[in-house]
Amino acid sequence: MMDDIILEVTNLSKTYDNNTENEKNVIKSLDLKVNRNEFVCILGPSGCGKTTLLRCIAGFEGFEGSIKVNGKETVEPDTERIMVFQDFNQLFPWLTVEKNIQYALKLKGIKDKKKLKQMSDEALAKVKLEGNEKLYPYQLSGGMKQRVAIAKALALNPTILLMDEPFAALDAMTRNVLQRELLDIYEKEDCTFIFITHNIQEALVLGSRVIVMKEGGNIVVDEENSIEKPVKPSSPGYGEMWNRMHEALY
Amino acid sequence: MNQKMKGIITKVIFAILALALWEIVAKSGVFGEKSELVFPSLEAIGSAFIRNFTVGYADISLMTYIINSMKLLFEGLFLGILLSFLFSGLSMISKTFYYIYDLIVTVFDLLPGVALLPVVIIIVGVKPGIVVLLVVHAVLWPMSRNILDGFKSVPQIYIEAGRNIGLRGAKLLLGVYIPAATSYIVSGLKVGWARAWRGLISAEMIFGLASCPGIGLFINQMRTNMNNAEMYATLIVIVIIGLFVQYAILEPIEKCTVKRWGMSR
Amino acid sequence: MKLKKLLCIALCTTLIGGLAACGNSGSEDKGEKEVINIAYQYGLAYAPLIIAEKNNTIEEAYKEATGDDVEINWIQMNSGADINTGIASGEIDVGFMGVGPAITGVAKDVGYKIFTNLSGQDHGMMVNDNSVGSLKDLVGSDKQIAVVNIGSIQHIILAMALENEGIDPHALDGNLIAMKHPDGMTALTTGNVFGHVTSSPYIYKEEADEKLYPIEAVSKAWTNEDSFIVGVAAEAFKDGSEAQYEALCEGIGNAMDFINNNVEEAAELTYELNGNTLEDEILYLEKGHYSTETSGVVKMAEFMYKNKFVDVDPGAYEDIVYENVKGN
Repeated sequence: MMDDIILEVTNLSKTYDNNTENEKNVIKSLDLKVNRNEFVCILGPSGCGKTTLLRCIAGFEGFEGSIKVNGKETVEPDTERIMVFQDFNQLFPWLTVEKNIQYALKLKGIKDKKKLKQMSDEALAKVKLEGNEKLYPYQLSGGMKQRVAIAKALALNPTILLMDEPFAALDAMTRNVLQRELLDIYEKEDCTFIFITHNIQEALVLGSRVIVMKEGGNIVVDEENSIEKPVKPSSPGYGEMWNRMHEALY
Repeated sequence: MNQKMKGIITKVIFAILALALWEIVAKSGVFGEKSELVFPSLEAIGSAFIRNFTVGYADISLMTYIINSMKLLFEGLFLGILLSFLFSGLSMISKTFYYIYDLIVTVFDLLPGVALLPVVIIIVGVKPGIVVLLVVHAVLWPMSRNILDGFKSVPQIYIEAGRNIGLRGAKLLLGVYIPAATSYIVSGLKVGWARAWRGLISAEMIFGLASCPGIGLFINQMRTNMNNAEMYATLIVIVIIGLFVQYAILEPIEKCTVKRWGMSR
Repeated sequence: MKLKKLLCIALCTTLIGGLAACGNSGSEDKGEKEVINIAYQYGLAYAPLIIAEKNNTIEEAYKEATGDDVEINWIQMNSGADINTGIASGEIDVGFMGVGPAITGVAKDVGYKIFTNLSGQDHGMMVNDNSVGSLKDLVGSDKQIAVVNIGSIQHIILAMALENEGIDPHALDGNLIAMKHPDGMTALTTGNVFGHVTSSPYIYKEEADEKLYPIEAVSKAWTNEDSFIVGVAAEAFKDGSEAQYEALCEGIGNAMDFINNNVEEAAELTYELNGNTLEDEILYLEKGHYSTETSGVVKMAEFMYKNKFVDVDPGAYEDIVYENVKGN
């Protein structure tokens, strides 16, 4: 159904260092369609162009081809497409946790202080960070920082949430907890997720659709994840899918 | 806290030792019979300190000279800081402006203000404004250099996060570049303040405006009249004002910003 | 920990010791010296010193009198105040400066007296508007007048001129602005200040400018007959070696005679250092008054004390000059 397509990437190419000896085609004529409320996990080796794809969608990079969100051509960054980075230091250190969220909301035109407070509190509750509103980012752990980043993104109510390996630098325990929480959020929110990872387990746990990308943005696998949630290594079909992804990757 | 106390105690002990040494040198008469004249004792400097305020020079208390200097200083500081933000900001918006301004900052930062005095006199004429201009000169370049360096070292991720939530142009500058570069800006303020204070006094010593006499002129008069104790006492006043600004203005600024945000220890 | 503390103490001691050592140099013996340290300043008014240096007049006078050699260490300094400090701390034996700072130094008991007059020069005040012909017209206005320094000889001369006109000598103090002679000249010709009180050769250059007008009262207040630059010698130096002192007086006198008798030859020696053309230098040297005899020193001292240019009474002529000096 055409109506359900929220993101349409057509013939996307991205070249770094144009016209120099270092010229590099990171992505060559990539096509991708994402439906509303999908959770797309993109797996791929380092340098395959998956981060570049995300940055092009976010509007941080210039590119050739076309990227349409809700049928509209995108060029510049916008709050309809919010990026959550891998780097813990994506929060503004000069603002408290709640101000980081409220500042973004203020820019969207929400001026009422009560309303702002209510929205930031709600967003923080979604990531289970109640009571930490007044802390400065340097007082938070890595996992907490990523939660705030997600809360900030959710508060802005984006059409698409772009996540570039947000949990890659966390320890395994925190990572598992956050994965579970993110799934909860996905189920409750009306939002489309594009999530980059190089961890097959993570892709299978989170994704409703899993894509494997190789050199040059070449999509080699693109399939629905039909394993029943919550996905565990013991779930039926997990082993087979894991093997398919692994083979495609290496 | 303990570490802080230790720092204070060390400083105080050193200051006392230095003062004691001064007194020993002054009392030992190593400068011959006229030692008291060139190297006055602490008592002499102390009573000169009071005399500076009660008697002053030409029937005007040192306080008036200080107020005159301060007026010019703060005018210059304010203007210099404002301009440094304006020009550094423009440099972030226009690449062409950046290249030109970068060159200007590099060149002018090397020129001592006092050396520019003859040129400035021809351009501006002789008004108290000249001293203000020299203070601006003292502040603008180091401050701009710091702000530019600060802007350039703003992590890409803050800029992208800012653009993502809708910040562009001047808003991005105010919302991301300036707060992210605060530690550079604060150290620019420290350097700028010290340079301005020094620049002001040396300008006043060379270019004395009798209608608006400042501390520099006061020092010069004390020197001319061989009132060395009064001159040293005035230097102490200069140090006290400098320390006051350092500890009562600049440090609190630092405490409320970069220290509070965990951007500096 | 102990070691660290010891090291720290050692470091502090070195630091303080170093400071002390800085203050210690210059306290060498005050007795017979083979070197005379002479401090002087820059400009036409100091011309006899260039002659004395280039022609070794002091060394020759000493050799003639004693048969021995003496070395002169010529030190150029920026102001009379610096030289005063140098003499007070014993670093300098002999200095040349304006009569104003010299009187201040004597009054403040720096430990010297005047041992010779060096030169008198023309002084004057120029303004860039011919509607103002006298100082009276300036009093109460906000018109700015450049002088080389507040409290300088030019400032005192202006105050004298005011007094001669029956006006408060300090009436124009608020109009003064301190800047170096050439800067003052530039500021005057570009209209950035209204008037400039200055001395030769700047006053000649300004007089040659048709758009500038003289205030006669100032040039009359202190003429080239009056003492402008004088030489001072530390009492310790004079007491230390009478022979050196006498050679100093004679050498400086000979240098002045050289200028007075062979102005063209003298100009050859000085014009480059003074930055003038040879023709101008001859002209300027001829207009200057080079004599060992002082003139107006007591008048100057009294005026300065009365009008608070110095806060201690400098005393009578004998208190200000050594017994060999003639004049008033």
